[in-house]
Amino acid sequence: MPYDTIVIGAGLAGLMAALGRAGQGERVLVLAKGHGATHWASGQIDVLAGDANPLAAVERLRVERPEHPYTLVGMPALEAGIAHLRALCADAAYPLAGNLHQRLLLPTALGALRPTALAPATMVAGESRQLADGRPTLIAGFPELRDFFPPLAAANLRAQGFPADGCYLALPPSGRRQSFDPVVLARLFETAEFRAEVGRQLAEEVRRGGYARVGLPAVLGLRHATEVVRDLQAHAGALIFEIPTLPPSVPGMRLYHVLEEALLRLGGRIQLGAFVRRGEGRDIVLEAVYSEAAAREQRHVARRWVLATGGLAGGGLRATPDGELRETALGLPVRAPNRRADWFARRFLDPAGHPVFSAGIAVDEALRPLDAAGRVVYANVAVAGSAIAGFDPIREGCLEGVAIATGYAAGAT
Amino acid sequence: MDHIELSLEQSLDHCIKCNICTAACPVAAVTDRFPGPKYVGPQAQRFRHERQPVPDASVDYCSGCRVCNEVCPTGVRIAELNARARARIVAERGLPFRNWLIARSELVGRLSCGPHAPLVNAGLRFGPARWLAERALGIHRAAPLPAASAYSFRAWFKRRRRRGSGPQANGKRRVVYFHGCATNYYEPRVGQAAVAVLERNGFEVILAPQNCCGLPLISNGDFAAARKAHAANVRKLLPYVRQGIPVVGASTSCTLTLKEEAPEILGMHDAEVRAVAEGTYDIFEFLRNLAERGELDTAFKPIERALPYHPPCQYRAHRLGLPPLDVLSLVPGLTLVLSRASCCGIAGTYGLKREKYQIAMDVGAPLFAFVRGFGADLALCDSETCRWQITHATGVASKHPIEILAEAYGEAR
Repeated sequence: MPYDTIVIGAGLAGLMAALGRAGQGERVLVLAKGHGATHWASGQIDVLAGDANPLAAVERLRVERPEHPYTLVGMPALEAGIAHLRALCADAAYPLAGNLHQRLLLPTALGALRPTALAPATMVAGESRQLADGRPTLIAGFPELRDFFPPLAAANLRAQGFPADGCYLALPPSGRRQSFDPVVLARLFETAEFRAEVGRQLAEEVRRGGYARVGLPAVLGLRHATEVVRDLQAHAGALIFEIPTLPPSVPGMRLYHVLEEALLRLGGRIQLGAFVRRGEGRDIVLEAVYSEAAAREQRHVARRWVLATGGLAGGGLRATPDGELRETALGLPVRAPNRRADWFARRFLDPAGHPVFSAGIAVDEALRPLDAAGRVVYANVAVAGSAIAGFDPIREGCLEGVAIATGYAAGAT
Repeated sequence: MDHIELSLEQSLDHCIKCNICTAACPVAAVTDRFPGPKYVGPQAQRFRHERQPVPDASVDYCSGCRVCNEVCPTGVRIAELNARARARIVAERGLPFRNWLIARSELVGRLSCGPHAPLVNAGLRFGPARWLAERALGIHRAAPLPAASAYSFRAWFKRRRRRGSGPQANGKRRVVYFHGCATNYYEPRVGQAAVAVLERNGFEVILAPQNCCGLPLISNGDFAAARKAHAANVRKLLPYVRQGIPVVGASTSCTLTLKEEAPEILGMHDAEVRAVAEGTYDIFEFLRNLAERGELDTAFKPIERALPYHPPCQYRAHRLGLPPLDVLSLVPGLTLVLSRASCCGIAGTYGLKREKYQIAMDVGAPLFAFVRGFGADLALCDSETCRWQITHATGVASKHPIEILAEAYGEAR
């Protein structure tokens, strides 16, 4: 069935683009290999690290780096994209806190403070300015949840001058005796009895230690986190904040659900398990793509396309055994260091990062893919998110910001 | 090691332990008995060796729904790994009689179907008999066993041919109809609707010799019998496929088995097997292809109804999107509302087993809530066992989408 727009990739960039197009009344299909970056990410929105004012940092970057995706799509795309995402999250009763003018510093599971621009309201009571109010903080967790160690996080907070203690809570009985990954716990927190029992234990700790706030792993409900946090606060008699865990990331899944619901409401479709392997075009028009299906490929036809498959980490780029970087869906030309020897800096922790992580598809201001000579490869394709060349999303701390700005731009034009 | 085994082995190394499969697994969500696809799949696979005992029995609790494959961001073939691991257990410890029996749907169907079916059905509704079957065989007393038909689909088709009421072959395009055991012995009406729709679109329907697709044998780990079943089907269908006549089926799990499950899981990859796989279509895939070429008869009479539609796991495993939704959206007045539940739980024979019945019911709970909450007296689903499970759990009648399409053609009986 022909679509107006087909988006390849179901991460933040792809879903933002799909929402934009579906919002204009287009028939939209999202093809994705599987769940991806949203389920790995923290659920926080990084815009640009390195400055207390993220927006000012973006302004500076636009002067210094003409080929950075922020420069290409412009400031209005970033601001409008963020505003759109905020509205969607607010509509879903999962509001985002923070703004683009003052960064947030939020504790990680190790007790380090990590800069970000926006975070779910469920995390914001752990912001550094609140931690610094002199009143003590409790970090609490469950021994059953692997890779979350409250005493370690608390010790690291103390080392930075924030009074904090760590404690383990007893997991309330639930009929489950093993397998407590973040998603299982998140589902348990959505039952009132479970969180009442956790709340009772927290109230006891709060009374004993006089804590102003309690940090818990970000497993406080999959679909109704705001309600779970409000309820826990009432039980505990202290503010509650969530701290991101290792994947699968519950806050990342919530963000995916917010966007997925919004897209389906607009009549959009999402097809998972659809690994796009190749495209078919004439001149500079992409006419069809083929995805893997049982026994044979499925052909998809659309007028316009958005490629939002991610970079090296997301799987949009792959290295061949002979050291060439390939774009996996359409076979677009990849801008990358010429020789494999140039992929990495000499030092592992080089402050400039490793060049290979800036590899990707070169694009013009309309986000259309370009070849090595700077000619447009497909005029009806926009590239969004980490598949774009010329920036290092993780090191620059702009993974979500670029996904939102370019996804919004690809959905608007 | 065949090439599929090699690719399974290599696909292990694509597992980055992100746990997205476990987060999405409907079985791990409701029970500790199944620790999740990552643990029993790619992780345990490293410990499975030719001459070593099988390390874990919990893989038997995998229902084979393939949601893990659908969501995996790195393309690991988790469900195939699990199916093969179960077969290793069976090879080592033998097949329990119960599993031997329920895996032979053709034999059970043949014994139940016919003029004596009312007697058989009364027996299956008789409480003490079911109690005995649970005690002696391990088939849960409440499990949804289908009601046998008093006549088989093949008998109906041949009777009709003898009466000459079916259309004659005069230069028409031809299709082979693959009916599967459920249509033949339990729900001939599904086959009758499929034949009506195909003939309405100008096809002569050929009832080629065929046998059980072997899926219940695969999912119970009886690979030797499954290989025989598939080889026999390939032998019977090949002459038609070689003439370019497509094989079309309405049982989405049968068509998936012919297309992919049997070749991949059983490691059957010769040219004949491949030819039959490539020549096989799910009926709505086939009809959507017709629609895309502008060849589908769209003279539908309006059906003013809104109905809940559940795309079963086996349909999603075709990785084709939602062809029934695409085709039925052409019927004026008809609105299908998509279920977002991941699985009905039954997974073929899984939910019949005494030790798994409750797991299957818990897995299906979100779907049952959706169907009940919808308030219609009919639900649509492409898979027979899922239909039986939905009706069992909700009391709402269920039909194959092809039956509604036949109705829209005015071909309902």
